[in-house]
Amino acid sequence: MALSPTLRLDRVSFAYGMVPALADVSFALGPGERTALLGRNGAGKSTVVKLVTGLLRPATGAVWVGDWDTRAHRPEGLARRVGSVFQHADQQLFARTLQDEVRFGPRALGLAPAEIDRRVARALAVLELESQAGEHPYDLPPAFRKLATLACALALEPTLLVLDEPTSGLDRALRARVARALLERAATGVALLVITHDLAFAAETLERGLVLDRGRLAQSGPLADLLASRERLEPLGLAPPPVAVLSAALDLPGRPVREADAVRALARAARVAGGGRSI
Amino acid sequence: MSGRLHPFTLLAVAAALPALAWILPAPIGPAATLAVALGLTLTPGASPGSTGIRSSPGSTGIGSSPGWRPGSVVFRAALLTAAPFWLFLLLLHDVPTTIATGLRITTMVASIGWVVAALPPARLVEAMVAAGWSATAAYLFAATLSAVPVLKSRAQRIVEAQRCRGLSPRGGVVNRLRALGAVALPLILSALHEVDERALALETRGLVPGVHRTPLEPPPDRVAERVARWGLAALCAAALVWRLA
Amino acid sequence: MTRVALEHVSFWYPATSAPALEDVSLEVVGGELVALVGRVGAGASTLLLVAGDLAPRVVGGRLEGTVRFEGSDRAGKDGGRGIVLPSPWTQLSGMAFTVWDEVAFGPANLGWPRGEIARHVEHALALLEITGLNSRDPATLSGGELQRVILAGILAMNPAVLLCDEPTAELDPAGAQAVWRLLSALAREGKAVLVATSDLDALPDVADRVVWLERGRVAATGTAALLAGDAACAAGLGTTVAGVWRAAELAAPFPATVAAAVRRWR
Repeated sequence: MALSPTLRLDRVSFAYGMVPALADVSFALGPGERTALLGRNGAGKSTVVKLVTGLLRPATGAVWVGDWDTRAHRPEGLARRVGSVFQHADQQLFARTLQDEVRFGPRALGLAPAEIDRRVARALAVLELESQAGEHPYDLPPAFRKLATLACALALEPTLLVLDEPTSGLDRALRARVARALLERAATGVALLVITHDLAFAAETLERGLVLDRGRLAQSGPLADLLASRERLEPLGLAPPPVAVLSAALDLPGRPVREADAVRALARAARVAGGGRSI
Repeated sequence: MSGRLHPFTLLAVAAALPALAWILPAPIGPAATLAVALGLTLTPGASPGSTGIRSSPGSTGIGSSPGWRPGSVVFRAALLTAAPFWLFLLLLHDVPTTIATGLRITTMVASIGWVVAALPPARLVEAMVAAGWSATAAYLFAATLSAVPVLKSRAQRIVEAQRCRGLSPRGGVVNRLRALGAVALPLILSALHEVDERALALETRGLVPGVHRTPLEPPPDRVAERVARWGLAALCAAALVWRLA
Repeated sequence: MTRVALEHVSFWYPATSAPALEDVSLEVVGGELVALVGRVGAGASTLLLVAGDLAPRVVGGRLEGTVRFEGSDRAGKDGGRGIVLPSPWTQLSGMAFTVWDEVAFGPANLGWPRGEIARHVEHALALLEITGLNSRDPATLSGGELQRVILAGILAMNPAVLLCDEPTAELDPAGAQAVWRLLSALAREGKAVLVATSDLDALPDVADRVVWLERGRVAATGTAALLAGDAACAAGLGTTVAGVWRAAELAAPFPATVAAAVRRWR
């Protein structure tokens, strides 16, 4: 039996009244596949997110989450498979402690208490939020509230995570924390669909790039290729992240876009180039 | 239509209708005021247009009032909001009292709904400042009006976010109450939390007591409207006197 | 000469015992762009509130030390201190249904005559390159567009000192670059510009000075070369290029930018 992809959009079109938003978009994500959804404002990225979470129904075509057609399920049902974090997600917080907040999702799904505890502990641990678990969400700085909303989505233990600008407002240390958490989940088979213009974060965390342009899927391919190409990024209002620029400028072999890879390539190139030359 | 009336006139009408509803004898009085209020909710509301100096004349925003809604949305919203009150009244009182109080409450709800939809807060502030009110007082008053549509759109976002976390609005009473809490609580908490930030932001924009704000485009106040407003007040006073006599 | 200076300032928020700022001395004069860097909670936002006369006056709390401000502080804010807070959504006046009115909100509150308001608003819209948005409803704007509108609203009040808290947080790279260029130009025009930011890679090109805050204290100050120092990189506050260079165990001093790295490489 062939495994169905974690997410599949099949010739999906959608319009808000008379205003077209998506036209004939098709793509698929397999388990553990980490994808960036890029595009200018109004290109249709938020519409894709709403279709995937079931908040909207496609006008034509179908959206499949695993073997579920989103038209046959409500958003609260799809929450078993799709964990999502929208912008302004911190407005959804209302529990007395961070821990209770993260419990909300698994509880709403009707899971057994032991399972809820396990999922909550795991979500808090991967984001290193255990020490803040007893705090009131509104006592935390905004950056930590944002991490809390990500923990809420992780606690659902979905097969697909859909995130809208997960790193905006975070400093470098917290962005690295989010990257680590997402990579850890992807390694267990969770697919990632991330809207972001933080290309440094995308370079570290994601491997594939989907570019929407005025409602159509304009590009789809390895993210590293996209990040190295100034010509392809400029029309999107984006620019290659610093590591990609450094790799190109120093002509590092393999043109790494991830920091760790660039460090290795740089160290190697330095040894090769100079022996003991102090660079 | 209501876009050309002075904001104070709109406020006067919105205040007079519930006042008359409570003063006049039931069920005819409240029924009449309710009919008027519901009729108003069906009017087009504030017309899209300018509320400030425009460099490119003829450009319009997307409706000049955040509460502006096409067609019968306000009408339906008013009836839906009032419905639970009727249920509650029916459980507690006999039929005549229920009808009387229900009509009065529905008049209030419809009136408030209409004025929020029809009155852009910016025009109200301009009118208040032109009439001599301090900018801060005017702003506080207007902010209360604009809070409703802002909270409504935020409530919608919260509902979506909670549904995507597994919250189901269906099921038994307990479940529905829990679902309501999961929307109402975050709404209130986030709004309260923001009050401090918003107050701080207003300070940064020069909203300090004592300085007279320049009205960007004060709405014209016609004599006829002023007369009408005083007339309405007099009508309410007369009705009260007649009722008490 | 425009100047804002904190002298041995300590600040406590209401009902807290630990100070948010401890013995901070810092001066920003007209013509320079100074960047505040530090981890979340280090005190950069608090410092801006103190420098902008919002703390303790509006926020409450207790202040020790002196805050001096010299600028053409006539009646009103013209030539005063303008502060752009983080999170553009909470800075909307809520009373303007077009971007034009939103930007005019500040100047109108200052009681300026209408002609002057129009002049300043048009100028601010042009500076932020958002003249095309002027009849849009602010509630429909994206985060990036909104951030630019808020910044325009403060600039329209013609402050002599500009204090910005994470002005590029919501912007995409093209937008962020444009804002940095603008802040740099404003500094060269004579404004005193103090920016709290986590966009470290942009700073070597625009910041005249960098102040590193750690737990409410000034840990270090210097030029942008500070962000290529060993201490900053170890604390996660170095530029990306410097961080990569250091992790590859190449020799100090680490280059702060790609251009500097290329020069070292040759």
